[in-house]
Amino acid sequence: MNAIEIHNLTRRFGRTDAVVDLSLSVPTGGIFALLGPNGAGKTTTIKILMNLISPTSGRASVLGVDSTRIGPKERAQIGYVAENQDLPLWMSVRQLLDYCRPFYPSWDRDLERALLVQFDLPEDRKLKNLSRGMLMKVALMSALSYRPKLLVLDEPFSGLDPLVRDEFVQGILEASEFGNWTVFISSHDIEEVERLADHVGVIDGGRTKLNESAESLLMRFRRIEVNLQGRTPLLEKMPAEWLAIDRVGTRVMFVDSRYSEGTAEALFQRHFPDAVVTSLPMTLREISLTIFRSGRKTPKGITL
Amino acid sequence: MLPFPIGLKLGLPVTEQIIFAVKKAVVVGQLKPGEKFPSVRVLSQELRISPNTAHKAIASLVDEGVLVATPAIGTVVAPHEAGDRKDCAHLLGPEVERLVVEAKNLGIEREDMQAAVAAHWEKLEAPGRQSSHK
Repeated sequence: MNAIEIHNLTRRFGRTDAVVDLSLSVPTGGIFALLGPNGAGKTTTIKILMNLISPTSGRASVLGVDSTRIGPKERAQIGYVAENQDLPLWMSVRQLLDYCRPFYPSWDRDLERALLVQFDLPEDRKLKNLSRGMLMKVALMSALSYRPKLLVLDEPFSGLDPLVRDEFVQGILEASEFGNWTVFISSHDIEEVERLADHVGVIDGGRTKLNESAESLLMRFRRIEVNLQGRTPLLEKMPAEWLAIDRVGTRVMFVDSRYSEGTAEALFQRHFPDAVVTSLPMTLREISLTIFRSGRKTPKGITL
Repeated sequence: MLPFPIGLKLGLPVTEQIIFAVKKAVVVGQLKPGEKFPSVRVLSQELRISPNTAHKAIASLVDEGVLVATPAIGTVVAPHEAGDRKDCAHLLGPEVERLVVEAKNLGIEREDMQAAVAAHWEKLEAPGRQSSHK
């Protein structure tokens, strides 16, 4: 069973389509990153998953339960840290934990203590006197102390400086020693999660653009540069998998979205006989940007 | 700190980068046979990667015989066996092919490529580093 399943989800606000026919699956276990630029529909998606808003059409399920049926019982199995989570800053760390505990039957005092030690949090200190990084860890531990099956972090890195981000990422990984919850992170900062995520979902304009393992994405995308060296390229029937085709002088550049070491060479030879072809790996950020761009512009006629 | 040097680059699968870094450290003698290898937890936290990825890298290294899983201790660096030389050479086939293709593409002469390989070979066997080759 996947931790989260989203099928053809659409959510309209007035005339605005925030999410359009979105489908995603989040495997159980591991770390999933939902990536997309601001306004891509990430927070709307998460709010539907948490049953804070309902879908216009389509459906989603979280831990096997339809999202529209998610109530207190299901929420007790989901750790949720919202973007700019409001914490009662006048409370001490201890007071906050005392306050949260009764809401969750599965609250684990041993885990609570273990996380306090692991995160090195001063129990008696008031939240308003904690650093940004410590505050994030307090939010994280109060979402994990009841041993959720799923941890949802909405834009956890926004507004954090690089050091605090790194500290928070470390916190997420340290916490994963204590339980095997699925981690779902939304972020517009792709570089931050490139190494961290096992699976990625990339969305733009409310639509799914990519949904697969990070490893398979990095394997199948390559930036290709062809040096024609005076040879004539075969321009008909260029594969649809070749994106962002461009030509500068005697060089043709494009992104191969179905690159495979075994077959690419022959295909390149057919279209660019005797030309020098180089293929370069791409970062998740470069891959996403290519996808975002090719979705925005109507492909202009390439004159080669 | 990890007992082998690694600088993760963006754009390449993390598992492959770890596997390569570990093999290299074994070859140059930075990781010695019998030495304890970091756990999934340590690897994941040090490199800021998912525990799944760390687990996959270690499992692959065990599969390939670079590491050995021992019940009470965890994984340790495998004893270095010379093995059948032809077998070993066969393992590198795809890498060698790629090197030759890239070199030809770039118009590098055979002698220059061989010299570059020899130079790298010597670099890894330079004094001060204990070579695991006899």
